[in-house]
Amino acid sequence: MGSVNGMIWRWGWVTAVVLVICFGQVHASVTTELGSSILIFPKVVFDSQGLIGDKVDTIIQISNTSNSLVYAHCFYVNAAPVDPTEPVSALNPPLWLETDFDIFLTKQQPTHWLLSAGRRVDQDDTSCSKTFHDCFNAGFDPGWNSTIPPASDDPFVGELKCIEVDYTGSPINGNHLKGEATIVNLPPAVGDASKYNAVGIVGLNTNLNSNNSDNFLCLGGGVTDDCPTGAEYAGCPSTVILNNFAESASDPVVDEFGNGPSRVSTEVTVAPCSEDFENQAPATITVQFQVINEFEQVLSGSTSVTCWANLKLGDFPVFDLRFVGTRFAQTRLWGAPRDKAGAGFVAVSEEYHQQGSVPVVSRAAFNLHGEGDRVNGDVIHMPEGQ
Amino acid sequence: MSRLEIPAVGGCSRACAFALAFLIGVQGARADVASDLAAAIVVFPKIVVDTSTPRQTPRGRVDTLVRISNTSTTGSVSAHCFWVNVNGHCQNSQGTICNPRLFAVSSPCGPNGYCEPGWQETDFDITLTAGQPIAWLASHGEAPCDPQDTSGLPCLPLPANQGSRIPGVSEDPFIGELKCIEVDKNGVPVASNDLKGEAEIIQSNDGQIDVEGYNAIGIPSVGPNNGNQTLVLGGPNAEYSSCPNILILDHFFDGANDPISGDAVTTELTLVPCSEDFQHQAVTKITAQFLVFNEFEQRLSTSRPVTCFDDVKISNLDTRSSANSIFNAAVMGTLTGQTRIRGVPDSNAQCTAAATPFTCCTGSGTGTCGDGATNAIGMNNALLGIAEEFRDGGGSAAFNLHFSGTRPTSDFIYLPCDSGNCQ
Repeated sequence: MGSVNGMIWRWGWVTAVVLVICFGQVHASVTTELGSSILIFPKVVFDSQGLIGDKVDTIIQISNTSNSLVYAHCFYVNAAPVDPTEPVSALNPPLWLETDFDIFLTKQQPTHWLLSAGRRVDQDDTSCSKTFHDCFNAGFDPGWNSTIPPASDDPFVGELKCIEVDYTGSPINGNHLKGEATIVNLPPAVGDASKYNAVGIVGLNTNLNSNNSDNFLCLGGGVTDDCPTGAEYAGCPSTVILNNFAESASDPVVDEFGNGPSRVSTEVTVAPCSEDFENQAPATITVQFQVINEFEQVLSGSTSVTCWANLKLGDFPVFDLRFVGTRFAQTRLWGAPRDKAGAGFVAVSEEYHQQGSVPVVSRAAFNLHGEGDRVNGDVIHMPEGQ
Repeated sequence: MSRLEIPAVGGCSRACAFALAFLIGVQGARADVASDLAAAIVVFPKIVVDTSTPRQTPRGRVDTLVRISNTSTTGSVSAHCFWVNVNGHCQNSQGTICNPRLFAVSSPCGPNGYCEPGWQETDFDITLTAGQPIAWLASHGEAPCDPQDTSGLPCLPLPANQGSRIPGVSEDPFIGELKCIEVDKNGVPVASNDLKGEAEIIQSNDGQIDVEGYNAIGIPSVGPNNGNQTLVLGGPNAEYSSCPNILILDHFFDGANDPISGDAVTTELTLVPCSEDFQHQAVTKITAQFLVFNEFEQRLSTSRPVTCFDDVKISNLDTRSSANSIFNAAVMGTLTGQTRIRGVPDSNAQCTAAATPFTCCTGSGTGTCGDGATNAIGMNNALLGIAEEFRDGGGSAAFNLHFSGTRPTSDFIYLPCDSGNCQ
């Protein structure tokens, strides 16, 4: 009997170890609050003329959360349509032009730059003082072997990805980067601003350095031709969750204070987890929506996203107040089919609250919630020589 | 639905249960406090209300829209929530609301009075059906929908919500926090991570609107919950994830001009303790240490006591004179900085969950644990927080802080003990 019990216990141990090996690392998720090895800013915008939306620019902030020097290789992706005065369509596709550059940050160093201006390496930047407050670019310039270039075009709408690398440019699992993006109205408009945390993808097993440092960055998933050692980074979420107003619903605070009429609209910006910077091949994913209203009623819809998209929920009837039926909704989004490799994405949302018959508008950005980890992974293919 | 209950498996050996428990334990160890994952406890560090005309607070007419949803699409969930009112009141006029975190220069208490800090909780229950989102104004709360009501205020639409009644905040103006804890139908805390939330702070005046939003901070359940009134966050016998060891804030130094709008930027930081004693209404006093790095890799530091709640402009964290603060751009020389914030663990004795809470942690360090507990431990004193940026030309933005690390010891939330439900 004792030997049977012993066998059961041994099997218990084996089962536990196998379960941990199989599932333990799956629980590492993308994050908006922890130091990470890949930072994704899903929405960076510069539009000096308001051709695509508001006249805005974006401040990028990145920090090194460690006590050692950190390097990163960054990619701007401009997904503005070929003709920025017209909406994206089959005849007016996104440019999907990428520009890459390097940065390095000393111990705990924060840095910043403007999307429209980039940041030159310039020893003569003037520091802030009691009489000089326009001190942007003061401090150690983060450019490494190069300046940080400005947005490649005006308008620029798209994303910024930064990948932690070593001094040779090879990807590593350091988990030392954090970041924020602030989207600010250009003068003379009132300086309205929205801010979100960069979405971080955590490198796995930093103590073992599971990263094989090749040009294929494997986000979740198992062993494949591109990922001979399996996942190097956390997988993207299987479902992204948004709490939103039904489109055209009123803002209850504006109503409460008697400053109406009011309406709220929402944009969701989707950036794919998989990207092929080597071949400049934009991926196409199908994004499914499931909208749950306050009556627990479920509506659904879908759209196709190539490379990047800023989805105005007002363009989809399923989000309209007349269909949703309640002011608030919970929307679950996922790449379809769920088990398709390369269909993962991350997202942020922006709400626009409009008040008054002569409308004034204010914006607020939100990081979205994630749920679960995709079984099949995503791959970022970096250009050779990085 | 992400319940962490060990299923009763007929014939399964202890070894199987051990394997499952081990797996759950390991999974739990990987769960972190996060504002982008569903959780069992959601913390809204900053709720503000001022609906009065003329305005009574510097911010003006403002209200907070609280949004909570059940991310489980298969079952209803309940939550027990706490408004925490941290308004101060004038010692010489208890009806006069004041801000004890401001210096006395503009105190409404007059030259012969001072502002007494306050900490008062009001608790309530909500029930959400599968996948249901709800939202309410902090000033009004929310009640089941009434067909006769034409106010347009949010209401609870379903019969299944009938057990819910959300009171508005207890005072106007109001500043404080909101905590919601997932419970079962009997009000007992459960090991389940189904709640998510956001807060939108909305200022609306004639011809002007300003909206900012942040995600509620989620503290996930990491293991079996014994269902008592003491919630153990991290450390031995953890029921919930440990609170972060360090908070990291990337910010503009106060007084620097926004490079886009040209407006001067100031940042306001709100901190709340992870540990809270709703049972005894005992306040938690924590020393917060701040390490500040500028873009020259130069490091300065300061510290400040945080009693229950702190909400202050960063250039007033260390001085009355913003111009001389280490958070001022003119002092630090660069536009942006990174600040690491750490609540200092208390070396005074702190009773474990088995003991009467807070009977020996009043700051003297000389007390003894009640209820015969002998295993006193250090108090964790972890903090949570959010930040807001303000531009003097208008336009604000709120955002969540980053975290680093966890602590080996526990934080505790002590829930009020209902009659018949006390352990």
